[in-house]
Amino acid sequence: MKFHWFNLMPWPYLPDDFTEKHRSVWVDVDSRLFDARKANRIYNDYLDLLELAEDVGYDGLGINEHHQNAYGLMPSPQLMAATLARRTHRAAILLLGQSLALYDPPTRVAEEMAMIDCISGGRLISGFPVGSSMDDNYACGVNPATLREKYHEAHNLVRRAWSDPDVFAWNGKHYKLRYVNLWPRPIQTPPPIWIPGGGSLETWDFCAEHKYNYSYLSFSGYIRGAQLMEGFWQRMEQLGAEFNPYQAAFAQQICVAETDAEAKRLYEKHARYFFSRCLHVYPGFADAPGYRTEPTIRAGLVTQMAGQSSALNQAAALSWEEMIEKGYIVAGSPDSVAAQIEKVIDTLKVGHLVCLLHFGDMPNDVCRYSTQMFADKVMPQMRSKWAGYEDHWYPKAMPLEDRAEPRTVTPFPASLNEPPRKRVAEVK
Amino acid sequence: MNLETIAVGPARRTVYYYRRGHGQPLLYLHHMLGIVGFEPLLAKLAESFDVIAPYAPGWGPAKDQLEDIDPGALDITLHNVDLLNALGVKSAHVMGISIGAWMGAELAAIAPQRVLSLTLVNPLGLWLDGVECADPFAQHPGMPSEIQFSERGLRKSLLLEGRDKMDAHVEELLNLRASAKFLWPIPDTGISRRLGRIEAPTLIATSEKDPIVPAAHGVAWRDAIAGSRLTTIAQAGHLAGLEQPEACAALASDFVRDHAMSAVA
Repeated sequence: MKFHWFNLMPWPYLPDDFTEKHRSVWVDVDSRLFDARKANRIYNDYLDLLELAEDVGYDGLGINEHHQNAYGLMPSPQLMAATLARRTHRAAILLLGQSLALYDPPTRVAEEMAMIDCISGGRLISGFPVGSSMDDNYACGVNPATLREKYHEAHNLVRRAWSDPDVFAWNGKHYKLRYVNLWPRPIQTPPPIWIPGGGSLETWDFCAEHKYNYSYLSFSGYIRGAQLMEGFWQRMEQLGAEFNPYQAAFAQQICVAETDAEAKRLYEKHARYFFSRCLHVYPGFADAPGYRTEPTIRAGLVTQMAGQSSALNQAAALSWEEMIEKGYIVAGSPDSVAAQIEKVIDTLKVGHLVCLLHFGDMPNDVCRYSTQMFADKVMPQMRSKWAGYEDHWYPKAMPLEDRAEPRTVTPFPASLNEPPRKRVAEVK
Repeated sequence: MNLETIAVGPARRTVYYYRRGHGQPLLYLHHMLGIVGFEPLLAKLAESFDVIAPYAPGWGPAKDQLEDIDPGALDITLHNVDLLNALGVKSAHVMGISIGAWMGAELAAIAPQRVLSLTLVNPLGLWLDGVECADPFAQHPGMPSEIQFSERGLRKSLLLEGRDKMDAHVEELLNLRASAKFLWPIPDTGISRRLGRIEAPTLIATSEKDPIVPAAHGVAWRDAIAGSRLTTIAQAGHLAGLEQPEACAALASDFVRDHAMSAVA
């Protein structure tokens, strides 16, 4: 069983009256609420937490992409991945992911991911979501009527660019490139591909066809997620795919303390901030016409935000105990959390748990505490789950002994006969 | 009144259309929500014209044709020319509402000899910086076309009532998807560069209660098309043809009678 530490990177200073005074946290959120000087601290805190997660034993460091969004400050997950590639050494870099149809040419994504894979020694997991309607259609202006065909073409182009050793011409419907010839190329051939999705039938079939990991990034927790994951596994069986729990990942809000009471005291307010302010999305941005296909509409599957907005609004109104009971959040003492996590794993049959240990306006020290507790007291109890299955969706990095590590660089001496000069920082 | 079909153009694309009435032909080009059965508007127009009302590729029964059409002016205009050819109609009066008004204007600009007169109701296709207009595609997914009606409840009574709930909702979303293909992310189709080519007598009408095509757009269309006239439809929303079929039909028939008959002679 693998555990990934994932941070949405929310803006923690949305005012108390945010939901009354503003219609959406996403797309047209008021930029006057942003403060770049505070962001200096926030980005560095969040990156510190990701680095800590590796130190305490998480298997992957999760980052993702959102645009014009006050709960997700990562328009470019590649930038986060780049710094993690340098400052971490063991964990997978779970880039979950990059919406391919937003980039023209999409080979730019292939190039950047190849760079990250090279710098990190082959630790990249490449996530290729279609992307949310808020990001793709409204913030980035991609036409919803052609989004999916564009996505599929971009995917095919990236896969070929990573693998074809020869220069080739790409005469697609959406992209035309006379010379495709990727420099650099990834260490892994290719990096494991994960497809983050909400609930669209096409995504399941796509994962089955290409043997990709399906990552259900839900905010409404494992109890509401169970039906959808059940649908996924049934579809995989119908399509003749052999069951392997590592082919699926699920995201869950989690927080751990010494006791259930302490968990409530420490984390409840941050969970409320997340469910009420961070997920306050104007429904008109949730589902552009054409974003969902006809089979998905007819199956009653709704997009994350459109479908969940009512459920999530309810979550904000629930008591702490009800939030836990209904699975929106897994919280409590290590033993309570372990019992709930076991249910998550067994119900959803997932081999990868994407742990949302930071949520809302949780301060750095509180999150460090929860992160450490989960790693020390919960993860070890679950490690042997799915022991009989091979994980084909985790990076196969270069052996540690062969890998380059960042070095402390000393200034070159003015003359080879002199001792090296001291660095500016050391002089101070 | 049943839908008819005809194969048009070199690709033999199927067009689903209604046709009724006598007199000079009138090509009716529908709005973003397609055609809602043989609408009262079509029945009323058929009292004065030989009405031809096709579903555009991507809408209604032609939903699967959307992929074959590029979003610019050329494909859709050639398609409409192909349709007129297939029907043996040399030239026709053209009435369009909403996105259909844009398609009609393109036809008149690119193939002026095929258009006898042009009646454009709440035409989309222009973008005016600084003029506030509602985004028809940023609406609650549970009632995505509510904004196109002047009052709450009209969507249900004029668009959905009497039909299977799921079918009606799916068609509503797919029709909006087709509209989005041409109008995303802002409805600037580039027609401003071609409006000066329109020769047909042209009437422009905007609805009093249409937040999507505000009155300033009507003025801009009138100013761009030489000799065109501008009028207002009181109390109506964007889908004026559904809300006020008689008034809309009268717009076209009165305009043709008063200003466009000479074009036919």
